[in-house]
Parts: sequence; C-alpha cells; structure tokens
Amino acid sequence: MKKIQFHLNGKKETVHCPPAKTLLEVLREDMGLTGSKECCGKGECGSCSVLIGDEAICSCLILVGQVENESIVTVEGIGLQDNMDVVQEAFIKEGATQCGYCTPGIIVAAKSFLKDIEHVPTVEEIKTALGGNLCRCTGYQKIITAIQSAARNKFALSGEA
Amino acid sequence: MSIGEKANTHKEYSNERNQWIGKRIARIDGPEKVTGELKYMTDENYSNMVWGKVLRAEYPHAKIKNIETEKAESLPGVICVLTYKDIPGFNGFGIVTPDQPVLCEDVVRCTADAVALVAAETSEIADEAINLIHVDYEPLKVVTDAEYAMTGEAPYLHPDGNIHSHVKINNGDVDQAFKHADYIFENTYYSPRQMHAFIETEGGWGLVEEDGTLKIQCPGQYAYRDRLQISRTLGINPERIHVISSPNGGGFGGKDEITVQIYLALLALHTEGRPVKIHLTREESVQAGMKRHPFKVQVKTAANKDGVITANQVRAVADTGAFASLGPAVISLAVEHACGPYKIPNVDIEGFCVYTNNGIAGAFRGFGVNQVCVGIETHIDMIAEQINMDPIEIRKKNVYHQGEKSSVGHIVKSSVGTHETLEKAQNCELWTNQNIYKSQPSEPWKKRGVAVSTSFHAVGMGLDKPDYGAASIELLHDGRLKVAVGPEEIGTGNGTVYAQVCAELLHCDMADISVVQGDTSETLDSGTISASRSTYTGSRAIATTAPLMIELLTGTASEMLNIPAKDIDVEDCNVIHKKDHSILLSFTELYDYLSINKTSTKVNSQFYLPKEKEAIKGSGGAPHHIYGYQTNVVMVEVDTLTGETDVLRVVSIPDCGRVMNLQGLEGQTEGGAIMGIGYTLYEDVIIEEGYHKTSNLGDYIIPTIRETPEIETIPVEAPEPSNPFGAKGIGEVVMIPIIPAIMSAIYDATGARVKHLPATPERIFNAMKSTTSSVPMSSR
Repeated sequence: MKKIQFHLNGKKETVHCPPAKTLLEVLREDMGLTGSKECCGKGECGSCSVLIGDEAICSCLILVGQVENESIVTVEGIGLQDNMDVVQEAFIKEGATQCGYCTPGIIVAAKSFLKDIEHVPTVEEIKTALGGNLCRCTGYQKIITAIQSAARNKFALSGEA
Repeated sequence: MSIGEKANTHKEYSNERNQWIGKRIARIDGPEKVTGELKYMTDENYSNMVWGKVLRAEYPHAKIKNIETEKAESLPGVICVLTYKDIPGFNGFGIVTPDQPVLCEDVVRCTADAVALVAAETSEIADEAINLIHVDYEPLKVVTDAEYAMTGEAPYLHPDGNIHSHVKINNGDVDQAFKHADYIFENTYYSPRQMHAFIETEGGWGLVEEDGTLKIQCPGQYAYRDRLQISRTLGINPERIHVISSPNGGGFGGKDEITVQIYLALLALHTEGRPVKIHLTREESVQAGMKRHPFKVQVKTAANKDGVITANQVRAVADTGAFASLGPAVISLAVEHACGPYKIPNVDIEGFCVYTNNGIAGAFRGFGVNQVCVGIETHIDMIAEQINMDPIEIRKKNVYHQGEKSSVGHIVKSSVGTHETLEKAQNCELWTNQNIYKSQPSEPWKKRGVAVSTSFHAVGMGLDKPDYGAASIELLHDGRLKVAVGPEEIGTGNGTVYAQVCAELLHCDMADISVVQGDTSETLDSGTISASRSTYTGSRAIATTAPLMIELLTGTASEMLNIPAKDIDVEDCNVIHKKDHSILLSFTELYDYLSINKTSTKVNSQFYLPKEKEAIKGSGGAPHHIYGYQTNVVMVEVDTLTGETDVLRVVSIPDCGRVMNLQGLEGQTEGGAIMGIGYTLYEDVIIEEGYHKTSNLGDYIIPTIRETPEIETIPVEAPEPSNPFGAKGIGEVVMIPIIPAIMSAIYDATGARVKHLPATPERIFNAMKSTTSSVPMSSR
C-alpha cells in the first residue's frame, strides 16, 4: 500500500493503494468514478481514456504510481448533466451515442482534440484524432458531425466564429 | 374476427400531424451517457462484494476424469469453489435446446466450456484459486470442420450425432428449370466467424436479498427467458428470481443467450448474502462468447436471356460450434432468406446446423441472412453482366411486390418496399454519377468500383415460436407517466421510441415520460430484443395500452367532477375540457384521488404479433409475416498493388415501414453499414484445432473511425398495415445487402471475385492475380 496524491477533476485527492494498480481501477473502484470503462484492458479501444495534463491517455495502461501529483480529468470532470460541455451537448443533439459504453472515452478524446485547435476540424483531422477510440454501434459518422458541431458552438460561444 | 385479422384493421397513421413520432428526436438517455453518469450494471458497486471467476476448459474436446478443488478451497480469501456437483437443478442451458452444460461433468466440447466457479475476496485471489483447481483430462479427437463433422468418420459430439438440425424449402421443380435455363451460375461461398465485439463485455452481479429473492443484474436481451434458464439450473421457481437486464453496453445478439447469469446465481447462493461480481476480460469474452456462424454456401442459379431468374438451389452448412444455442433458428432463417426478396418459381434450399469443437456460435444481427445473401446477389450480378442488363433493372424485374408470391412460395401480405428502394438507388447521386467517380481514383494504381445489392430480413419470431408484446403505463405521484416495456436498451434507442409513442398518444411532453425496460419486477413479459422486433412490438404494445390510461384518467376526472367522460381529454399532464381546452384537473390531483381510493394507477395490455397461417413443412419456422427491406449502393477503392480495399461511400436505402425516429434510423443504417464493412473486409475469429488464435481487439480488427465512409440514408416508407403507426423493423437488415454490394464493387473495380470472406488484402490480391494469370508476371 502506498499513499498517492493527484488532482482529479480539479480536486486534490489522496488514495492508499498498491502503486501497481491501474489508474482505471483506482478511478472506478477507489474513487467511484465509473464513467471510464474497461473494454479491452490493453489500450486498444480508448474506452478508458482520461486527460492526464492535456493529453487523452488510456487509463488501463497507466499505473496509479505514475500519476503522482499529475492533473487528471475524467468524463465526469468534463461535465455532468447540469453543466454539460459543448462537446457533450453536441453528442446528444447529433445522436453520436448509442449503447454509450464507448462514449465517455470518445468525449475525453474529442475534448482533448478540440482544446488544441482553433478551427472547425475537417473530417480527416477528426479521423486522425479519434483513431484510437473504438465504437461498435454508431458507424462514427454522427461522432464526426458532433465534433464539428461542437467546434462551431465553441467558437460561437467564445466569439471567435 | 381473429387477432391477426383485427391487427390489419389499423388505419394508416400519418406522421405529419404528429408531435413526436416520425421526427428527428435526440435520445432520452443521451445526457447520462455523454457524462458517464449512467450506471451500467458492470459499473455497480457493493461495499461487501466478492469476485467471481470461471474456469474454462483447457482442451476443445476432452473427457474429464477428475476435478480436484481442495487446494483452491483452502487458499485464504476463497469463499467457495463450485463444480457440477453443486448444481441443484438441471445442468444445462440453451435457448432452443439446452445442450450446453452450466458446469461440465464428464466431457468438455469447446474451450468456452465452464468447469468450475470460484468466489473470492479479491479478483487476484479468485484468479489464483482458478489456477489451483486441477482437472484431469483425457483429450479426444477434435472436430474442426462442419462438413467433416457430418461424415460418419467424425466422433459424435452429442448423443444424436453432429447434425443438430436439417431444414428444407422446396418449391416448383429445379431440375426442369436447370434443364431449360439459358444460363446457370454455380459457386461456393465461405463466410467468417464474426464477433459481436460489444464494448461492454459480459458481466454483472448476483445477490440474495434479505427477503430471499435472488437478484441477477446482468446485461441481457430477454429478462424473462434468462430468469427461466436460471430457475431451471437452480431448481427454484422463477418468481423467486429478479432479473434486471437493461441497459446493455451493446448486444447485437451476443447477449441473447445466457452469458454469466447462471454462474452469478450459483455463486450468490454460496456467499452468505454478499453480492458477487463477474466481469469477463476481453480475452475471456473472445474465448467464451457467442460468434456468428461461419457458413459454407453452395449456390446454383438459373436465368433466362430476358433476366428472369428461374431457379435457385442452395445448400448451406452452418458451424454452430459445440452447442446449439440459437443455431437451428439461424439456419432456418438463412434458408427462408436464401433466395433474396425475389419471386423465383423453382427453389431447392437446404440447411444444416452442425456441431464442431469450434467455440460456440449463436444469434448475431442478421441471423443467417448475412451469410446466404451473398450467393443470390452475386449471381444476379453475374446474370446481369452476361445478358448486358443493368443490375438494378434485373433486380426490379425479379423482386416480389406486396400480394405476390415469394421464392419460398407464400403470398406476402405485409408491406414490401424493395422496388421503391431500387428506384431510389437508381436515382441516387452516387449511382447516376458512378462513371465520373470511377474515373477519379486517388492514386493511379488504385481502382474504384460501384455496385448495388438488395436484401430483406424478417421481423419477429416466425411460426413455431410464441411472439407477443406487452406494455404497462403508470401514473406517478408527481403527475408524470412511467411506461414499462420488456425489450432491453442495448443501444438501439428503442426506449426513446417508447417515450415518443407514449407522449404522442397521451398528448404530453416526452420529458413527462420515464421508460423502464428489461426488469422482471417492472416490465411484463414482452419477448426479446432481437429479430428486429422491438420497435414494432413496443410501439404497438404501448398503443394498445394508452387508451386504457386515457380511460382511467378521463373516467376518474368524470367521477370527481361529474362531467361526462366523453367531454374530457388529456393534455400536458392535465385533464382538459374538450370544448374549450380549459384545464379541469392536474394529473397529480388525479393520482391523489386514486391513491386515497386505493385504486391502481397502472394499466397494462398485451397483443399477439401477426403470423402466417400456413407453415412451410420442414423449414423450421418459415415464413414470417413481416419483413424489412434494404438496398445499398457502395463505392470502393482497391489498391491493385496490395489488395487493400477502402469503402469510400455508402448509400443505404431502408424500408422499415414508417420511420419512428429519423435519428434512430440513421443510427442503425450507419452502424449497420460499418458492421457490414467489418464483416466483408476484416473480421474473423481464427480458431485452429479448437483453440482461439484471436485474443483481443488488437488481433480482431473492427472498423475504426478511419474506415468510416460517407454514409447517406434515404428511407423508403412502405407502411405496415398491422402496426398502428405503420412501423416494421430495421436493426438487422441494415448490415446485410452492404456485404454483397462491397463484394461486387470489388469486382467492378478489379474484375476479381472474392468468394471467401473476409475479403482480406491477400484474398483480393490472389483473386486479382488469378484473373490475370494468363498474363506473364514479372521476373519473380
């Protein structure tokens, strides 16, 4: 057992657990944040993606000992139902979620991607950015539309459009 | 008037005056899904929980001589170790034939077989205990090929032999037709062992509640049938078991059969009230989970010079793996659909569902039609080319219309939109401009092809199985309404359709409706979420229930206010006066009145789905009454140097009857297109000598966002008379015609026909090579 501290969704947190426990397990079991999902456990599918710093990373590949003093944001930190992010709103409006099990990871990846750009992304740019997230239901087309629509709304809100 | 006839008297429902039905409506579960707040059952947590694990068979076929559990049992932290000896009731499960042991006793027949269960304080201890169980095996000969399994040489995997079922449909005289045909095409097609690859692997919870009820929370596709199968193994009444089976993180048929529910139930009886969780790793899901049946399909098709198909002969052999599950139903549906939505007068179709030691195959979106549509659709393209006829014209010439006789010989009385889908295909931009697109490959060594295909898929259960729908609507204390319908939310958005229908018929906002699905305590038995049936079934069940709720509300208001009920209506969760729309009472006032008077605020109703009157003998359930239809136009680009193929554009033209939710429909056509692309080009679980070589999503490639083409949906709405809204079903047909369309588009691009799916780069490359084999190759 080890005492490990990190910032989670803007709050300082301390956990006592084996340092070799994956970040995903710590989030789901110790922190009660079950938005991040395990689907492959091997970093192939992106369902467990969280932001570490600004980067979307598969939390099933990260041991909790590696995130000492890091800043982590999960899908819950991006927005909950009463304070949703533009990305989340766009996913609902465009029908970009179906069974929804991959959705939190995709929201995280989309949020990370949109943070870095100052324009409405092209389809090719989105395909490159989201290439690590598997979805079995939607066919991805509505995910692409939702990300473009979120970008438009983001710029409209910030007055950059 | 029979129930079936009564069903056909619904007046056609118009979408124009609707507030909710037929519109583009965002999902009601969207907010909790995009925020991660929705608790799937594998997300639930209990503080005093224990972990459950399953010991799977070490060999694909072996005798069990002894099972030694003492070491595992004495490991600190282990709560229980269970084997076949601990099964109180019947040691078997399986939807059609319960031939799969819950825990194997004397023989294992595939590596999915379970031999023992462990519950322990931690997941790690449970894993260690699994490793400490010693099973003494005597390996037996492994049956790896379905054709071999059918010969006398192969060992019997089950007492009655290896052919689980043999179904046939004969119509007309194929021998005479072949004798007089102008053209005959004969080919053999092979299809892959596709994996559902739902993102949420199989898992859930079992616990015994304080009142003794056994509660199973586990994603599934039919709570009541899961409960029945659990109760048989436990030897207790189903009423003592509470199954919650919704929501699912994806299903596609892969959670139709029992997954881990019975293991959870058995373990929960040995943990002294502590909740037990099983959640399969992806590796275990690959090894133990259902797959799509790989088929070998031999097809012989005859046609005349004018493009009329005169005969079709099909022999389909399905590898169901070690157990039947829904295999016999899959092969029956394959036989029913093997001649496409056409009116071929002479057909001879037979199908075999065959046991092997290759894992387990069962239900999967499309249910046998994916495998057989390839033969007839490819042959119709071959005929069109031979007689120089347009591929859409030849299909239009051969399709049956409503009221005409199908290839299996029954008059199709339900709605048929095929001809219209083909007309839309003919006029779609991709088809009309195909020559321009084909002349613009992205690289000089790449070639583009455009092709069309059409197919169909039955809606509902067919003749030999019961098929009914039920719904309840309850007035809640806050004046809102709760609608409960059995079929689970597996991702399709059926719950949103249920809210739309309820809001439409009770004249309120969708936000005033809450929806419950898949819960034996909350929902009536209304059948499965499968067979493309849940939109049809749920919408009609709610439509039969809603008038009862209006009657309850207006009747109660009439009693309270002494106004005739006929003058009262409901609107926005109030009762209003019909004349001036003035509000008379709120639903909360009605609720209070009813509860003071101890009157139930819940109404419910059932109906039976329409069926054909006459079965086709020996077909195993054909024909169905209702079918959904779809035509696809696709464009592919093939790299002639490597065989790598991209699908660039897809036009999906479904006929699902009246569209209930445009966004939901597109969700299906787009998702179905991608799953069809995966099936045709990439996906196959490799099993060698009974062992899975595929292990996870790193070596089982499903399409990513990078493979997503531009997908356009052009709905055709041929309203189904037996549904109050004209709806049919869509969940499966959306991934069917795209398969032969891609295959023919590859041919259009390269002149190479791949008859063994998936059409991997190697197979396409070799097929291209064989078309040019007479041309001298360069030095090597």
